[in-house]
Amino acid sequence: MYNILVCDDDKEIVAAIEIYLSEKGYNILKAYDGKQALKILKENTVHLVILDIMMPQMDGMETLSELRKSQAIPVIMLSAKSEDEDKISGLDLGADDYVTKPFNPLELIARVNSCLRRYTKLGMINEEASENTYRTGELIMEDTLKKVTVDEQEIKLTPTEYNILKFLMQNKGKVYSIEQIYQNVWNEECYGAENIIAVHIRHIREKIEINPKEPKYLKVIWGIGYKIESL
Amino acid sequence: MKQSKVLRMIAYCMIPILVFAMITSLLVKEVQKDEIITQKGNEYFQTDQFVRKYMSTVANYANRLIYENEELPTFYDGETQICYIDNNFNSIMVEDFYILIQYKNKAITNLDMNSDTNTIEKIKAFISQNQNAKKVNISAGNIESDSEVIEKKGMKYSRDFENTYYTRTEEKGQFNEIVESVIGSQVEETETTGIKYITTQIEDFEVTSSYQEILQITSEEARMKEFLNRYETLGEKAPVILPVCLSAVLLLGIYLILSIGRTKGKDEIELNDLDRIPYEILAVIGCLILGVECLILANMGYGGIVQDINLYISIYTTFYLVAYIICAVLFNTTVKRIKAKTIFQNTITYQAWKLFVKIVKKTSAKTLEIWNQFTESTGLVNKLLMVIVGYIVIAVILLSSFGGFGILFDIGLAIFIFYKIVQRINGFTKIEKHLKAMYEGDNATKLKIADFTNEFEKMVMYINDISNGFENAIQDGIKSEKLKTELITNVSHDIKTPLTSIINYVDLLKKEKIENEKVKEYIEILDNKSQRLKKLTEDLIEASKASSGNVKLNLETINVSELLKQATGEFEDKFKEKNLELVMNLPEEKVLIKADNRYMYRIIENIFSNVSKYSMEYSRLYIDMIEKEQTVQIEVKNISKDVLNISEEELMRRFVRGDKSRTTEGSGLRNFDFEKFDRTSKWNICYQN
Repeated sequence: MYNILVCDDDKEIVAAIEIYLSEKGYNILKAYDGKQALKILKENTVHLVILDIMMPQMDGMETLSELRKSQAIPVIMLSAKSEDEDKISGLDLGADDYVTKPFNPLELIARVNSCLRRYTKLGMINEEASENTYRTGELIMEDTLKKVTVDEQEIKLTPTEYNILKFLMQNKGKVYSIEQIYQNVWNEECYGAENIIAVHIRHIREKIEINPKEPKYLKVIWGIGYKIESL
Repeated sequence: MKQSKVLRMIAYCMIPILVFAMITSLLVKEVQKDEIITQKGNEYFQTDQFVRKYMSTVANYANRLIYENEELPTFYDGETQICYIDNNFNSIMVEDFYILIQYKNKAITNLDMNSDTNTIEKIKAFISQNQNAKKVNISAGNIESDSEVIEKKGMKYSRDFENTYYTRTEEKGQFNEIVESVIGSQVEETETTGIKYITTQIEDFEVTSSYQEILQITSEEARMKEFLNRYETLGEKAPVILPVCLSAVLLLGIYLILSIGRTKGKDEIELNDLDRIPYEILAVIGCLILGVECLILANMGYGGIVQDINLYISIYTTFYLVAYIICAVLFNTTVKRIKAKTIFQNTITYQAWKLFVKIVKKTSAKTLEIWNQFTESTGLVNKLLMVIVGYIVIAVILLSSFGGFGILFDIGLAIFIFYKIVQRINGFTKIEKHLKAMYEGDNATKLKIADFTNEFEKMVMYINDISNGFENAIQDGIKSEKLKTELITNVSHDIKTPLTSIINYVDLLKKEKIENEKVKEYIEILDNKSQRLKKLTEDLIEASKASSGNVKLNLETINVSELLKQATGEFEDKFKEKNLELVMNLPEEKVLIKADNRYMYRIIENIFSNVSKYSMEYSRLYIDMIEKEQTVQIEVKNISKDVLNISEEELMRRFVRGDKSRTTEGSGLRNFDFEKFDRTSKWNICYQN
C-alpha cells in the first residue's frame, strides 16, 4: 500500500485524482497548498507526490525545492502551464515527471505507476542482462525470449515492429531515416516503401509509450528520422 | 581676526609710519655718504658737482645776455650796454655771488643798479672787493680763480657752457636782429635745412665773479641737510630698521590683503560705493592728485618759498600722508575688487568691450539670419553658385592688390572653399547611408545634428522624426502583441483548471453504470465538447505565441520527403477512417531544406488534420512535391465534403472554416497557425480543394 500525496488548490481536482488512484489501490493524502503538503510530508511516510505549480501561499516550485532538501521520493508536477520552459524548470528542480492540465486520467495513473515502480525497484536492476538484452530506461528487450517490457509490463509487438524496435534498440541514441531502417531491417533496397515504416513506428509508439504524442523512448525527429532515446 | 576692523585700522596706521622710518633712515644713510652735503660744509665747494653748477650758472647769464638783453633794465657805460638781472637766477647755492659777463660791447650783471655800479669798472671793483670771497675771472678762455678746483676743472666744464647755451638754433626769419647784431659773423646758415646755427665759445666772453663759500640758507640741499639732521639717529640704526620695517610692512600688507573686504558673519565680499566706481576713474583721480602734489613740491623746492624748516617738514608730511591715503584707498579697493572678481567687470574698458561684443553679436546674428533666410529661399545650388561667383571676385581683388602673393591667397581660399563643399557632399553621403540603414530596418540609431553643417539641420531633423515615428510604431506593435499573448496565455491557464475538473468528472460519470440511454448520450456530448475545449485552449496559446513573433526558429537541414513520409505515417489511421486513398508523388532523391523541423511538422500536421476532418469520404488525397530552382512546393489536394463558397484568400485567414457555421470538429485556429509559421520559415504552400 503506497501513500500518495496530492497537492492542488482546486479541491475538485484533488477529489477526482483521489477517486482514480484509490481505485488502483493507493492510499491518498490531500493537501491544498505547499505548506500543508510539507507538513504532511513531515508527519507521514509518503511514496509519491503529485504537485500543482500555481498555488496560494507557497507555490509548487518552492515546495518542490524545499521537499528535495530532505526527500528523494518521486514527484509528478501537475500544472496548467504547458510552455516548454515551465516543464524544463520543473524537471530541473528535481521533478520526475510533468503532466499538463487538463490531463488524461489514464495517463496520470500510468505515470504514477511508472514512477513508483522505478522508485521502489531502484537498485534492483536485473544483473542477468546478457548480450541479447537491450535496455533504455524502463524499456527492456530480451532478444532470446523475444520479449519486450516497459515498466515490467510485457508489450505485444508484431514481428515487423519487433525487428524495427530491435534495430533501433541496438543502436540507441542514433537517428535513422526511414530508408536506413528499411535497408537494415529488411536487408534490401528501399523501394516504394513509402510510409510503411512510419506507420509501424507509430504503432510501436502507441504500444510502448504512456503518451504517444510526447514519446519518452521512441522519438520522432521530423524530416530526419527516428531514434531510441538513450536513458 | 580676519574680520576685525580695529586690526585693519591699526595696520593702515602702522604702514605709513614704518615706511616713513624706512625712507628716512635710507635717505640719511645715503645723504651721509653723498658728496653734496657733508658735515663739514666746505667740502662741497671742492667737488666736480660744484664746478659744473658754477659753469652752468655762468652759461645761464651769458644766455640771457645774448637773447633777452632788450627786456632787462639797462645802463650805458659809453659804448657798452650793461644789463641788470636779479639774483634768482643763481643755482649754485652760495652766499654773496656776484657776476659780470662782457661780450663785445654788451655786459650783464646780477648786481643791483645804483650809482656805485653804473660803470663796468665800478662793478668789477665791487666784485673784487667782496671780502673773504673766492674770485673767478674768465678771459679769452683762461680761468683765473682763488679756488683751485675751479681753476683746475673749469675748462673741463666749459663744454657745458657751450653745449647748453651757445650752440643754439633759430628758425630763419624769426632770428632776432639784436642777436644778429651782437653775434654778427658768428651766425652760420646751412643751405639745405635753412636753419641758422650760432656757435659762440667761452673764449668770446669775459667773466668776472666772486662768491662766499657758505651755503645759501634757502637752498634745497641746506634744508634737506637740516631736516635729516633731526633724524640722524634713524640713519645710525638703518641696518636694524630697514629689515624690521620692511618685513613688518610686508606682513601687514599680507594681512590686509587677506583681511580686506571680510566682515563678521558674511561670506561674500562687502563692496561700498567707492568700490563700484569704475576703476579707471579712481586711478585717474589718484594719479591726478599725486601729480599735482609732485608739481607743487617741485615748484616749492625750486623757488625756495618756504623758509621755516618746521613748516617745510609739515608740508612734506602732509603731502606724504595724502599720497599714502590715496595709495591705501586704491590698494583697498583693488584688493576688494579682485576678491569680489569685479576688477575687470567694473571698468569702463570692460563695459565698453561688452557693449561692443553685444553689438557685434547682434549684428552678426542678424546678418547670419538674413543669410540663412536668403539661402533657404534660394536653395543649395544657388548658394554654391554665389560662393563660386564670390570666390572669383575675391580672387581677382586679391590678385590685383597683392600680385604674386595673391595667387597664394587664392589657392588657400580655393582649398578652404573646396573643403567646405566636400563637407557638405559628405553630409549627403552620410544621410544616404543612414536612409539605407533605415530602409533595412534600423530605426534605433539617429543622426546627430552636430555632425552636419547647418544646411542639413532641417533635413536631419525631419529624418530623425520619421525614424522615431517608425521606431515607436514598431515598438508599440511589439508591445501590444506581447501584451495580447500574455493575456491569452493567462486566460488559457485560468480556463484549464476548471476544465480539468470538467473533463475528469465527465470521465468519472462515464464509468458509472448508467441505465438511462439519454443520460449516456448527454455524457458523450459533454465528453466530446470538453475535449474540444481542451484542444482549443492549447491551440489558442500557440496561435498567440506565433502572432507575437515570439517563435524562435531552430534551423537545421531536413529531408522534406522523409518529413512527408513520417507525417503520412502518423495520419495513416485517420485517413483510413475516412477511407481516403493516399497518392504520394515524391522525388526519388533526397530533398534537403533548411527549416525548423518541429514547426515544419506542425504545418504539415495542420494540413493533414484539416484534410482528415473536411475531406469527402472515399475520395483521393494527392500529395505532390515539386522542386523548383530555389524553393520546394508541396501540394496537398483533396476534395472538400462541403461546397466551398469562400475565396482562396479568405480560406487562408484565421478562424475561417469552409462551412461558416462552426458546428463541425476543428477550431479554424489551425489555419492561422499554418499561415504564421509559413511566413517565418519562408515556405510556399498552395492551397487547393
